[in-house]
Amino acid sequence: MNLLEVLTIPKDDAIAFTFFTGYMAMLAASIFFFFERGRVDGKWKLSLLISGLITFIAAVHYYYMRDYYLATGENPTVLRYIDWTLTVPLMCVEFYLLTKAAGAKASLLWKLIIASVWMLVAGYIGEAFNPEGGDTGHSVMWGVLSTLGYIYILYTAWFGEVAQLAEASNSAVVKRGVRTLAWFVLVGWAIYPIGYMCMPGGWLNTAFGWGSENVDLFYNIADAINKIGFGLVVYNIAITSTESAKTA
Amino acid sequence: MTKAIFFFIACLLLTLPFVFNAGEISLSNQLLITTPFLLILGIPHGAIDNVLYLRNNAIKNSHFIGVYLVFVGLNVALWLVLPSIAYILFLLLSAYHFGQSQFSHYFNKQPLSHQALYFFWGIGILSALLYLNIEEVHNIMNQHPEFATFRPLHQEKDMLLLFLSSNFISVALMLYLGYKKYLKVETIFMELVVVSLILICFYLLPLLIGFSLYFIILHSYKVLKEEYIFLISEKEVKSFLKFLAMVAPFTLLSVFGIAFLFALIYFELLSLSYGYCLLIVISSITLPHVFVMNKFYALVFSKKANQAAI
Repeated sequence: MNLLEVLTIPKDDAIAFTFFTGYMAMLAASIFFFFERGRVDGKWKLSLLISGLITFIAAVHYYYMRDYYLATGENPTVLRYIDWTLTVPLMCVEFYLLTKAAGAKASLLWKLIIASVWMLVAGYIGEAFNPEGGDTGHSVMWGVLSTLGYIYILYTAWFGEVAQLAEASNSAVVKRGVRTLAWFVLVGWAIYPIGYMCMPGGWLNTAFGWGSENVDLFYNIADAINKIGFGLVVYNIAITSTESAKTA
Repeated sequence: MTKAIFFFIACLLLTLPFVFNAGEISLSNQLLITTPFLLILGIPHGAIDNVLYLRNNAIKNSHFIGVYLVFVGLNVALWLVLPSIAYILFLLLSAYHFGQSQFSHYFNKQPLSHQALYFFWGIGILSALLYLNIEEVHNIMNQHPEFATFRPLHQEKDMLLLFLSSNFISVALMLYLGYKKYLKVETIFMELVVVSLILICFYLLPLLIGFSLYFIILHSYKVLKEEYIFLISEKEVKSFLKFLAMVAPFTLLSVFGIAFLFALIYFELLSLSYGYCLLIVISSITLPHVFVMNKFYALVFSKKANQAAI
């Protein structure tokens, strides 16, 4: 009985809908990446494992977040940030693994992880410790600090070490793959600040009246695009490289 | 993505929250915030027009400056006699120039289709600036009698039509150039992202701050970089310091010139508003600058085409 109550989704609740579809999509993507791992060359297996882990960790968190949301109607902020704290650094690991063959050092990995954790911690403080009713100064300050981390990762992916290593890799597949991932950082990751600005005191909340419920709507859409899309790009690189190695 | 685009995104993301937090910013405060940046980064990109023009034209520097000043004088005269025509001419030339600098690194020739893209892209951007800040534009026109002449040119419905049609045409031209293999699919996506960001910038930021962010980073910084790379490749300058020394004289002259005009206004020797005076000055510098830059890009393109042929 209790379970049935939890699983009741209002027809007009787009957020609950995206929580459920997000959960299933993440789970399906994980199974896909884990199974397909067997089809790619040894050097790509770890990358596909990471892709599968990213979507699997997200799927587990989505399982809890959808129930939390349906039971309370509130933003599952803590669960959300626990999910991101685990999955976003793993996305940085993907960048590192892709460029490792071209000479990427562990320092690159650590710089990306530190930038991503900085971005998330600042975002978490901005969101979780936002005073009752919202405080624009608070959300602006932590939003700006979080953005600095994002800008660093964006620079690294487009011009910095990651881009330079991809260019030096002499592999058209890696070059194209890194560029596509850089596009995800530019466009896909840019959806998150839209959600952030919907919380009480946030710009979109104050200026346009976009309610705090939209925070989760944007985050769910962004997660689906970035986590599954990111994994699919890595999968595409792995499978293309494996097939071209076979035909060579 | 170019570095200019990256800087633009970074500056936009970091500026937006502060501007939002600051609330309404008056036009005079906007001028105070943006003027130093416009003087330091905006003016220098047009301060070596003589050097660029003389690279490929057998004409003396003094003759060039003489012709340049004649153009400036004619433009000032046009502003005094037919301000609306001068204003429209200024916008049309600026539109072409903005579009040309935006796409310059993709091409090595500029047939009519490319030039049409420059023109409509620029019109799209400028009409967006005016349409998305129409209230602020109308307020300026209401507060300053000199600007009232342009009021009929800024009807909201007309601006919307111009904004939508020019942007539609520029996107269609980008797709056409993509189909003709002049632009890559990725390039088209990037340019669509850039246009979207510029529109967001104009919509969310006050008129002058939004425009300055675009003008300084996406236009002036990019053009300055192109000029620097060109002069280095031509062995005209050997270091960035030498480039700065080359840019400095006419930049300082322009800054002092503007300061002098503002002093005349301040001491009531010139009966113009600061904004209107600045518009005439910028328009007068822009007129010859657009022609020089068109020649400059033709030279850069032919150089790129020759290198590609080798």
